[in-house]
Amino acid sequence: MERAFYLDKNKCEGCTNCMRKCPTEAIRIVNEKAVINNDKCIHCGECIRVCPYNAYNSVTDKIDDINKNKFSIAIPSTAVYGQFHIGTEICNIHKALLSMGFDYVYDESWGADLVSQAVRNRVKEIKDNRPVINSNCPAVLRLIKVKYPSLMENIIQLQSPMEISAILARKKAKEIFGKNDEDVEVFYISPCPAKSIRVYSPIVLGPSKIDKVISLKEIYGDLIREMKMHHEICYSNPSIKGLKWSLSGGQCEAAELEHSIAVSGIENVLNILEEIEMGKLNHIDFVELMSCNESCVGGPFNFENPFVAKNNINYIIKNTDNSNILIDDIDRFEEFDKLGYFEQKINLGFKNAQALNIKAGIERLEKVNQMVKILPKIDCGSCGSPTCRALAEDIVDGINTIESCVILKLKK
Amino acid sequence: MEELIKRYEYEIIANDFDIAGSTSSSIKRNLKSIGVDPSIVRKVAIVSYEAEINIIIHSKGGKMCLEIYKDKLTIRAHDNGPGISNIDLAMSEGFSTATNEAREFGFGAGMGLPNMKKYSDNFNITSSSEGTNIDIDIYMD
Ligand SMILES: Nc1ncnc2c1ncn2[C@@H]1O[C@H](COP(=O)(O)OP(=O)(O)OP(=O)(O)O)[C@@H](O)[C@H]1O
Ligand code: SF4
Ligand code: SF4
Ligand SMILES: [Mg+2]
Repeated sequence: MERAFYLDKNKCEGCTNCMRKCPTEAIRIVNEKAVINNDKCIHCGECIRVCPYNAYNSVTDKIDDINKNKFSIAIPSTAVYGQFHIGTEICNIHKALLSMGFDYVYDESWGADLVSQAVRNRVKEIKDNRPVINSNCPAVLRLIKVKYPSLMENIIQLQSPMEISAILARKKAKEIFGKNDEDVEVFYISPCPAKSIRVYSPIVLGPSKIDKVISLKEIYGDLIREMKMHHEICYSNPSIKGLKWSLSGGQCEAAELEHSIAVSGIENVLNILEEIEMGKLNHIDFVELMSCNESCVGGPFNFENPFVAKNNINYIIKNTDNSNILIDDIDRFEEFDKLGYFEQKINLGFKNAQALNIKAGIERLEKVNQMVKILPKIDCGSCGSPTCRALAEDIVDGINTIESCVILKLKK
Repeated sequence: MEELIKRYEYEIIANDFDIAGSTSSSIKRNLKSIGVDPSIVRKVAIVSYEAEINIIIHSKGGKMCLEIYKDKLTIRAHDNGPGISNIDLAMSEGFSTATNEAREFGFGAGMGLPNMKKYSDNFNITSSSEGTNIDIDIYMD
């Protein structure tokens, strides 16, 4: 899989909205349809959100993809817990998943709780490359890879809550149900396309322990139906620390780091990465960078708007008492840490996009600057490139022509 | 003398906090688009940012140059005074004469010059009341 969403060409009007919103200028309009450059796409989902014609759809696994011959585990993203009306019990969401055909549900908040401790320890150990950057938003990781490759070294080499949860869920399947790894299949219920692409084509992190990814939108209707049908009193047992990971600032809080900052929303993330690259934030220990507004509760495949979802999660947090938590995994941090469960290598190898030699690179830049002078600089996007500067680059690179500029044509 | 491939020059205006950092930003953007190795770009970004800010907050204004050679980059920060009276003191970590206004903008930790030296391969500073000249080489291999 090269991309975790696709464009329905029949619905696309070539309106340029997505092209102008894309943070990496990955989109062009060709023959009145949007075209995405997979090498540049970071899977932030901004194009999906902004499209007025709902032309972008998720590429997702489905409930029917549950293999009846395997022991199937569902791990809903903690953001999923904020998608139902206020006061919805987490245990009822889990039950609904079980009645939809899963054999077991693992609560990601426990995984997140454990990772918090690992983040805290690791940040304290790391001496250089400040600030340390979180590793759990795959869109941010890809953004760093394509636009800020020199900051790859700052990414914390730790697993995300999603991955730890998959590891621990598989362990549970073995310990409780006697299931071997090859007889187990793990599904992640995802708020975004970024998590899918992390699973299906990891370019920054190593292979994933998740097998399949279902977008929340895909099963939301079924979930609601099941929950209505089988509603009953039950007991939920999430980790408060872990739940916070779905909200902006939650990781910093859970890891109890003194000099840390949390940034959410792709534009804010771009700005802060610029500053980090200039060395302006060397005095900060840890930055939590999340592509979506308000963090994962703002994921593009969620149902609720981020602010309502945030309130729902906060309500669960307020009504949860962790003083007698019944999760044995939480007490096994030292053991898991020794086993190396939290380790995650970052694939540092950055290749220059074009691998130009310096002289050719300067020549290209000169040509682009010359061309920018000729263009009207109103960034209208009618040419099919997101800005006049991008058109200048496209002309120099031979993928667009100056005849595409509507304004210049009018002036003639 | 090595062959100079390209030279960019930028004017830096004293006390202009609004656009502080914009010169080093465009240097960074240009180097990225030229295809310079990311770890080199980062060093240049840090060094040129500190040099730019120093001209803005401590001097009467000046200019910065980026020179591109086959296997090195040279950054020159030259200003029009008042100069640094004790260079050894200025180079020591934590020494700063930044004004309260500059401190409000987050400058004045006294780490600029030490960091410039740390991230450069050759670091040369001279100063008189006429101005301060800093020349920095960063190798590209
Ligand atoms: N271009 C300059 N002209 C005059 N004085 C300078 C110049 N650059 C540095 N100085 C002097 O040297 C001192 C140390 O500079 P340095 O860049 O290390 O720290 P800073 O600018 O005070 O604080 P920071 O860079 O951490 O924000 C300055 O406080 C100032 O007194
Ligand atoms: S997902 Fe993000 S990066 Fe990819 S095309 Fe859409 S807006 Fe651009
Ligand atoms: S912030 Fe969360 S939901 Fe949004 S892209 Fe990143 S991981 Fe996905
Ligand atoms: Mg300084």
